[in-house]
Amino acid sequence: MAQMETEVLIIGGGVLGAAVARELSRYKGDVILVEKEADFGWGSTKTNMCIVCQGGDTLEFRPEYHRSKLIWDSMPLMEPLCQELDVVFKKVGELALIRTNEELGKFQKLKSRAEKIGIKTHEFINQETLRRMEPHVTREAIGALHDPNIAVVDPVRLTIGLMENAVQNGVKVMMETEVLRISREANQFEVETNRGSVKCRFIVNAAGILVDKIARLVNSDDFVLYPIRGYVGILDKNLGGFVKHEIHMRPDAPGQMNILTPSVHGNLFFGTTMQPALRGDCSVTGRIAEIGLQNVRKILPDLSEKDIIHSFAGFLMFRNWEVGWHECVVQASQKVPRFISICIGYPGVSAAPAAAREVTELLRREGLKLETDERFSPFRKAPPVFNELPEEQQKELIAKDSRYGHVVCRCETVSEGEIIEAIRHGATTLDGIKFRTRAGMGRCQGGFCTPRVVKILARELGLSEEKITKKGRESRLLLYKSKELLEAQI
Amino acid sequence: MKLSDIDVAVIGSGPAGMAAAIRAKEEGAEHVLILERQEQLGGLLHQCVHNGFGLFYFEQDLTGPEYGHRFAEKVKDLGIQVLLETMVTQISPDRQVTAVNNREGVLRLKPKSIVLAMGCRERSRGQLNVPGTRPAGIFTAGTAQRFVNVEGWIPGKKVVILGSGDIGMIMARRLTLEGVEVKAVVEILPYIGGLTRNEVQCLHDFHIPLLLEHTVTQIHGQTRLEAVTIAKVNKDKKPVNGTEQMTECDTLLLSVGLIPENELSRMAGVALDPLTGGPVVNQWRETTVSGIFAGGNVVHVHDLVDNVSWEAEIAGAWAAKFARKEEMEKEKKILKPGRNIRYIVPQSISAQHDVTLYARVKDMEENVTLKVGDIFSESLRVVKPGEMLKIDLSHSQLRQLKDDAVELSIEGAKRRQNG
Amino acid sequence: MVEEKIVCIGCPLGCRTTLRINEQHEVVEITGYKCKEGRQYVLEEYRNPVRILTSTILTEKSGRPLLPVRTNRPILKSKLKEAALTLARVKARPPVKVGQVILPNLLNTGADIIATDDLFD
Repeated sequence: MAQMETEVLIIGGGVLGAAVARELSRYKGDVILVEKEADFGWGSTKTNMCIVCQGGDTLEFRPEYHRSKLIWDSMPLMEPLCQELDVVFKKVGELALIRTNEELGKFQKLKSRAEKIGIKTHEFINQETLRRMEPHVTREAIGALHDPNIAVVDPVRLTIGLMENAVQNGVKVMMETEVLRISREANQFEVETNRGSVKCRFIVNAAGILVDKIARLVNSDDFVLYPIRGYVGILDKNLGGFVKHEIHMRPDAPGQMNILTPSVHGNLFFGTTMQPALRGDCSVTGRIAEIGLQNVRKILPDLSEKDIIHSFAGFLMFRNWEVGWHECVVQASQKVPRFISICIGYPGVSAAPAAAREVTELLRREGLKLETDERFSPFRKAPPVFNELPEEQQKELIAKDSRYGHVVCRCETVSEGEIIEAIRHGATTLDGIKFRTRAGMGRCQGGFCTPRVVKILARELGLSEEKITKKGRESRLLLYKSKELLEAQI
Repeated sequence: MKLSDIDVAVIGSGPAGMAAAIRAKEEGAEHVLILERQEQLGGLLHQCVHNGFGLFYFEQDLTGPEYGHRFAEKVKDLGIQVLLETMVTQISPDRQVTAVNNREGVLRLKPKSIVLAMGCRERSRGQLNVPGTRPAGIFTAGTAQRFVNVEGWIPGKKVVILGSGDIGMIMARRLTLEGVEVKAVVEILPYIGGLTRNEVQCLHDFHIPLLLEHTVTQIHGQTRLEAVTIAKVNKDKKPVNGTEQMTECDTLLLSVGLIPENELSRMAGVALDPLTGGPVVNQWRETTVSGIFAGGNVVHVHDLVDNVSWEAEIAGAWAAKFARKEEMEKEKKILKPGRNIRYIVPQSISAQHDVTLYARVKDMEENVTLKVGDIFSESLRVVKPGEMLKIDLSHSQLRQLKDDAVELSIEGAKRRQNG
Repeated sequence: MVEEKIVCIGCPLGCRTTLRINEQHEVVEITGYKCKEGRQYVLEEYRNPVRILTSTILTEKSGRPLLPVRTNRPILKSKLKEAALTLARVKARPPVKVGQVILPNLLNTGADIIATDDLFD
């Protein structure tokens, strides 16, 4: 078992942990990040709805709310960050639908209050303009509030981009590493994991839905978190052209949100129904799926159940259920020095850039020396996406490595070359390939490509195919060799 | 390698693609090219190690690979050009085909005519929205079939199969013969989705429980599947409270329907029929885009491979005729699905030639009459969604049609009792 | 007197028939069929229930782990499972052509196991 030492240990490789890692990599000093899954962003990050700076936030911005401020401060940082990291940032604009005069009144109040503190992001548009912009949207909408600046990103690709840049700049990573115990010594922590122990001076606790559990390991339970489960559905790519903007509707009942948005990849995502749930229970029940479809039909009435190709649930950790949306955790522990916790229930992606800077500042106040590292490079190049390249570049790529000419995933046109590149960048599982290349995310949901991806993983990793897992640990795909069960019976 | 002056380009080399290409060549097309994404001719036939193929086409009971072999030999003998491991990524409405492989790189082809023969794909869990966790161990029956019959892996040893489509029942038998315990085949309807022959030879033969009017309501297991909850359903196909039972298993196979694979068809601007999921075609199997033809499962999901090949031959023959600029009948009579008819292929016919119609019913009914307008009527003992209807009409019958539309319907039904 | 239930597969109706069998294993009565072909099929199925076995065998060729095979004529359905066990120990060595006999006279049934696909080097 390994024994390591570092200055800062980051627990959790979701979008927040990754943002902190990248921020810290600007400075000298050792940083290690531990992640308990087989790849980055597999907790709440991957169930995020990809929207950057959701409009409800800017309209309901209150500078005294911590979360509000983090989002507001992050807004100008996100696009340049995505450019540096070669991560797609797609401006789609946003429409907050107005169905009744009462809703119109509410929105007018919000808008004027926002304008009083200098926020001029939204404009009203009438029904005719709305129809022109979005011909398929419900006829019930009498108008909308439009913010042209809202964008979408792929939250996992962003996380991977952050991590790769962080690693480029010296951060060390340990995957499939779970924190089991933390003991405090005079000026340091000793963190025991399933892969050995790490001695460190500072801890950044970015463990997502386990943030409070990790805090309790050092008896620093200064906050209580409430798990809220949201339901997200993905619609067929053919519908991708149906809706151009991120569209949302004020919820008809508490605990319901109603958002529909194009993703960077051309699908439509919808998010509805939020409810308290058992932490980590990501199961989707039939009832939730039904309500979800009913809700999103309020925005896009032409949708049917057939259009949903995938659905899942994700967790948001909220601080103060009574106060609701506006609190989050970005704080140094009151009880334990040099222990910073970060958890932003909603939206983690949008607030990440400013939150990472704030964590860095908190670390500095706790005693971390921040000396700029001249070797730091903010630029990271993403692996090529074959089907997005112009034909000339596709030909060049194939000429360089013929495996880019072998298309493995029909639905998303993903080549063997891209899959190999993803493995080189750290993917070791079927889901890892899925999130990094989109192979398996298309219409047939891996029906055709799974056997081929398994073969490529096995070959590149030097493993037998039966060792390949869906998402790490015991999630093996293939349990027996042909004839093995029969042999056992002879 | 010559990739210019292609008369007919066939996309896919399964039982449809190969049959279309052969027929096109026999019809006189000089340069026929097959584009196949897999490593060999045959499409899915290689993983269909079971028999039941060619009972009518060859009048023999062959396995999938044997059926494919016959066609593959003919493809070779006729000198049809084949590009393997080549994925067609785009088809434009003016019949330009873009394809990718690791030898020629990116190919831009301009065939005189195209036959779409991409077959179909399986409905996945995501589309079904089966509630529960997302562990490893859930496969569609076809993907499991590929692992078991080609790659050499058995997914698990305690299997539940959701859906009684033919592939599901066939895999129930296949897995049993590989030493797996198949605990149940679960079907939401009161009757099986596939052929009775498979119910007998795959389920009864091996005493595999068939749970009709049941469904899987929950999936359990974090990393690997551990169990499923199965419940009875009512007439509205909704689970009945109190009937839930948890069944231990490590693998769940989904056999809940096939959908024609029409991404390329959509790109080409071909109109699709929402009832079939495939292109709207006339009796020459020409789509709404001139010069683009289609045959086989890409048009509608067949149950007999023999019909797949016969249908694709029509597409191949007329693609060849189109390539040499032969005139085609423009007269059109639209076929309309009437009572208890889910779909009809082709969607339009000329009244000047003999034609074979294919249709499927929505519900099972007994002692009925199949009617085509006023020109045809046949008594049938039973009609079932899982068994396709084939109706041969002669041009002399068709000449009697007066209107531009003719309806196909099922009349005089008696509901089947459960027995 | 024993009862045996057999589903006729002669046509899509799939009549569920019941056969009553006496102690001498003779069929005394058949009910549930709707046509004489069906009755004939069911009787034959009771007396001699045979099936074609289709399966795969392991190969000695790397990169192609399995070869699909079948019996060249039907065998008693009661022998299917034992036959599958027998096949577990058989390996194909290339070259093999479609139709080639891999294992003659499987379990003394008179049926051979033949390859249903080629296996070349």
